[in-house]
Amino acid sequence: MDSFFLWLGMGLFALVLLCLYRGVFGPGVLNRIAGICAIGTKTLVILLLMGFIYNRVEMFIDISMVYALLNFIGTITVAKYLEMKGEV
Amino acid sequence: MTRATDNIILRTVARVMIPFIQIYALYVIMHGHHSPGGGFQGGVILGASFILYLLTHGLKEAKIRMSEIKAGLFSSFGVLIYSGIGLLCLILGSNYLDYGKLSAILKVAPAQARSLGILGVEIGVGITVMAVMFCVFFDISTGGELPEDEE
Repeated sequence: MDSFFLWLGMGLFALVLLCLYRGVFGPGVLNRIAGICAIGTKTLVILLLMGFIYNRVEMFIDISMVYALLNFIGTITVAKYLEMKGEV
Repeated sequence: MTRATDNIILRTVARVMIPFIQIYALYVIMHGHHSPGGGFQGGVILGASFILYLLTHGLKEAKIRMSEIKAGLFSSFGVLIYSGIGLLCLILGSNYLDYGKLSAILKVAPAQARSLGILGVEIGVGITVMAVMFCVFFDISTGGELPEDEE
């Protein structure tokens, strides 16, 4: 079962690289924001998979919740920045 | 300058979420010596809750809750707690931040005194980090110029 989680995590890591490409080279700002948000969500899942691999889910769930929270606030900030040009 | 948003969804979500974020931050600070987290991480989450309030409710309302002066006072108060506990250990005839000697004041076993001492230090660190996070965001969003109270 551990190797299943491991391969799942590695697959998600490959997807993170694809999202990173979209975040760096993506045409326009909106593509970049979407890429970065997707990276945040995938990181959360990878953290939980690491918890399953190390058999300490109750520890990693704390970190992943913080990650989701900060991702949410970051998305709100960027969206507000874009709504009014250059003003948070 | 951070303006208030008139988006009802954003305001309501922020109003509902901020108490839970703060409770979670307190949990991370208090549980720091059993699980990941501690003073710095809890302080960052606590600061994030204030930043969320500032983002959704604007600068004017946020200054009522947490003004720049209050943030400055809090940041020094946390350092005071940290160094105060350290100096207390020094006065009691031990090394700086060696909590074992605090058992003479707290009237508990030295092992428990160590646990309580590091909890106190983490609370101090958390308060400081929260205030400094808020200060940094405040300064960036106002463009560095401190707005005077205009009423």
